[in-house]
Amino acid sequence: MVIDRDICTGCQACVAACAMENNLSFVGEEDAGYGRTQHWIRIERLWEGEYPEVKMDGGFQPMLCQQCGHAPCEPVCPVFATPHSEAENINLQVYNRCIGTRYCANNCPYQVRSFNWRDYHIQPFHANLVNGQLVFPLHNQFNPDVTVRRRGVMEKCTFCIQRIHGAQDKAKSEGREVEDGEFTTACAQACPASAITFGRLDHEESLVSQLGHLDRGVQHLEELNTLPRVTYLEKG
Amino acid sequence: MSEKISRRDFLKLASVGAATTAVLTGCGPASRYVEREPYMKMPEYSYNGLSTYYATTCRECAAGCGLIVRTMQGRAIKVEGNASNPVNLGKTCARGQATLHGLYNPDRVENPTKQGRSSALVTDQLDWDAAIKIVSDALANNNASEIAFLMGTGSDHLFDLVSDLTSAIGAPAPVRFGALSMFESRATLSKAAENLLGQSAMPFFDLANADVVLSFGANFLETWLSPVAYTRGFSKMRRGNPKRRGYFIHFEARMSQTASKADEWIPLLPGTEGLVALAIGRLVAEAKGGATPRAFASVDLLEVASTAGVKLETLEHIAQLIVEAESPLAIPGGAALGQSNGLSTAEAVLALNALTDNLGKPGGVFVSPLSPNEDAYHRPANAQEMTDFIAKLKSGGVKVLFIHGFNPVFELPKALGFAEALGSVSQVISFATFPDETAIASDYIFPDRHGLESWGYQRVVTGTTQSVLSGLQPVVNGVYNPNTSEILYNVRGTADVLIAAAQSAGGNFSQALPFTDEVAFIQSKLVNLIGEADGSFIAPEINTFTAYFQQHGGWWKNSAELSAPSASSVLSKGVNVKAAEFAGEGKFYFLPFVSPTLGEAGANKPWLQELPDPTTTVMWNTWVEINPETAHELGVTNDDVVEITSEAGVVKAAVYLYPAIHPGVIAMPFGQGHTAYGRYATSVGVSEKFMELVPTSQYENGGKVSPRGANPADVLGAHFNEAGDLAFAGMKVEVKKTGEKQILSRLESRIGVYGEGMGEGH
Repeated sequence: MVIDRDICTGCQACVAACAMENNLSFVGEEDAGYGRTQHWIRIERLWEGEYPEVKMDGGFQPMLCQQCGHAPCEPVCPVFATPHSEAENINLQVYNRCIGTRYCANNCPYQVRSFNWRDYHIQPFHANLVNGQLVFPLHNQFNPDVTVRRRGVMEKCTFCIQRIHGAQDKAKSEGREVEDGEFTTACAQACPASAITFGRLDHEESLVSQLGHLDRGVQHLEELNTLPRVTYLEKG
Repeated sequence: MSEKISRRDFLKLASVGAATTAVLTGCGPASRYVEREPYMKMPEYSYNGLSTYYATTCRECAAGCGLIVRTMQGRAIKVEGNASNPVNLGKTCARGQATLHGLYNPDRVENPTKQGRSSALVTDQLDWDAAIKIVSDALANNNASEIAFLMGTGSDHLFDLVSDLTSAIGAPAPVRFGALSMFESRATLSKAAENLLGQSAMPFFDLANADVVLSFGANFLETWLSPVAYTRGFSKMRRGNPKRRGYFIHFEARMSQTASKADEWIPLLPGTEGLVALAIGRLVAEAKGGATPRAFASVDLLEVASTAGVKLETLEHIAQLIVEAESPLAIPGGAALGQSNGLSTAEAVLALNALTDNLGKPGGVFVSPLSPNEDAYHRPANAQEMTDFIAKLKSGGVKVLFIHGFNPVFELPKALGFAEALGSVSQVISFATFPDETAIASDYIFPDRHGLESWGYQRVVTGTTQSVLSGLQPVVNGVYNPNTSEILYNVRGTADVLIAAAQSAGGNFSQALPFTDEVAFIQSKLVNLIGEADGSFIAPEINTFTAYFQQHGGWWKNSAELSAPSASSVLSKGVNVKAAEFAGEGKFYFLPFVSPTLGEAGANKPWLQELPDPTTTVMWNTWVEINPETAHELGVTNDDVVEITSEAGVVKAAVYLYPAIHPGVIAMPFGQGHTAYGRYATSVGVSEKFMELVPTSQYENGGKVSPRGANPADVLGAHFNEAGDLAFAGMKVEVKKTGEKQILSRLESRIGVYGEGMGEGH
């Protein structure tokens, strides 16, 4: 994935799109204040200077799981709930293995993992009472391709793996390879500025590879040797 | 060997051996990389059947972006942009994404309700036949001149239907309004276009092809006019041309989300934007040589620089950038126009465009094409016209008031007195989907379908070079109770209700709307487009045309239809920007702005509430932006609640120390402060009807409704600019510390911000 910070406008469309695609829970004002929000992607903004010379340093920065090639979160999991997938070259999270130690989140230098502190989606607060039963209208929106997580489970960006597999299965059934740009992640699809590009880094001709080799591309916390799969394009 | 191994010893040895083996294999890296395909088939990998996709149009604002909604088993799962709709080309904003939380909101009006102006939503339900009888009687039993319709800026087909009805029965034409159009100062923009360019129309700013862009308060990356389209334009301006990177300068007292993307943000004292535009124009004209055009001749550079609080060198530097640019563009909008001198500010900025000779040229200013079934540009009412309308309500001139798609009790400044004026209207009938403040104050609520359940069309006012009519169709057939498969929300399309009521009223009424249903009415409007040249599709007759219209999500012209305004007369006209007048005696300029994530009606969608504001990262509440220096002088800091007093009212909210705001200005987002509108928009708990099932500790205030955040419209006075738009940024207010604290939930870390949490010496 490549993210162009020079054109990211910080509009939060990616955050909302991710939430809708991946059945993310909203946590409410109080828990949000404790930093318990379930944002698989968040927009960071950093100030530089003082009024009136104040600037937003380099613009907005969407931060999400960097799908590290050498991920600090992986070796610390005692139950192998966060293994590496060689097939997609991404970092998986296996919800039914996770026992909620939160070691992975502590070890993530990008702070992109979020923990389910409660069963947010089945709190009666969100329900209506119909004939004595609790009915949750918002559950109608859940994406059936993505597991709804319960409390005590860690979660993070999956690069919309359900879309990757959907496209792979479709291509396989048609006897061809997946084409570049045939599908994309929910965040990249929504982005009104087209700041996010998703594709195969191992295909030289793909758009994401070409953008990733631009001079203004940087990878965050490279010095930790995490081998991130997300490249940010700076103002340059 | 007589030594025996006891059973106990055997077990000890055996367990040690087993544990050693397990540890050896368990720790090795090999186990993390084993072939584990069968166990790793997560639910994400399995098929759950096929999805069906429907094209429709977003109704979260009036821009008319096309959507493709993924549905599965009759449920809408995901909203995606319609890649062929010229407005948004496959993209959506956050509000568009969260429209599903409106469709499946637990706080929709469930049935036609005899509300009786109660303080909360009542459960006194009617059936639809009774509802239609009430509407029919209201139409037939009142003098036509005493019937009034108040509508939002969305639902163009319904507006057309009501217009047909009112003109046939001799009732006043429906009035349209929305807080977004108020904060955009739409009327000012179109009036300035009329004065300078000779036609009352919505200008189109070709951001994509400009190389130096000056924005005078236009928040085009947030909510202004057509944010998805302008964001695309911005993206192309910056990176669309590999040979150059567009340069962007923003003038506004506060660094908005749009301003934060600027290469240079120039804070100005509110109300001086027009003068600065004239000063830049004069500098540009002088640098170019020749006679300075009349529009810019009279401006005093040094005086402007000192009034606006900007260095003359800065203006000279900007003028130089414009002179060197190939296609410079200046955009007026937002708070710069919401001033007593807003119209002349808009004219000054448009004149700046004429000076750089970019009218009708790539990267310049055009006139937006009219929508396919539109005769002329019809803007929504301005605040002055709303005030006149409210005066008519107060005088008892309206016996029955129908309200659709607009929440005036919340969106209009309290000082205009809409809520009180409802007292003089005998019957108020609301068609609200959600129990908002206006619906609660009505006699009846006959809930309309949600946008994703509706038929319709939306005219695209601006944002694209093509003439576009975006189409709506229901993507789901209602919302069902998953436990019983019964319909959960017993709603009906307002167009269908009005058609049925008109039929039952007979006479003029049934002749005005001779249709079987809403779709028949829409077809009667689409029929004119059959055979039009250059259309996105062709169809021989109306049923095929309607089918294609639904399939494609609308109908549009294939080629650009921008018209180029004439520049000839612009520069010879004098533009006289007077000093802005401010209402009230307070020390601070008050700058309200529309929340970029919530917009005017997003507060009831929980995921929009949980989106951090792009510049402050505050979620779920209202804040007041104050410069840290000013806050220090006032003795307040983050999360201190302050009382803001204007001549029109008082509002309380928590302080956010904002490093990028003029020290003399305080700013506040519009969008929160609801006293009704459901559990997410207020800080209640939940409908009281099942409190017994749920421990009250789950709710703040023990389940009582209280506002979430505050509404800056409460302190806005009734002052207008020359075009009749509200001078919403023309207030001066007093700020007082209350001693209360309210901790704002923010995404950003507090540690290190203004020394917090860093210990001594930081």
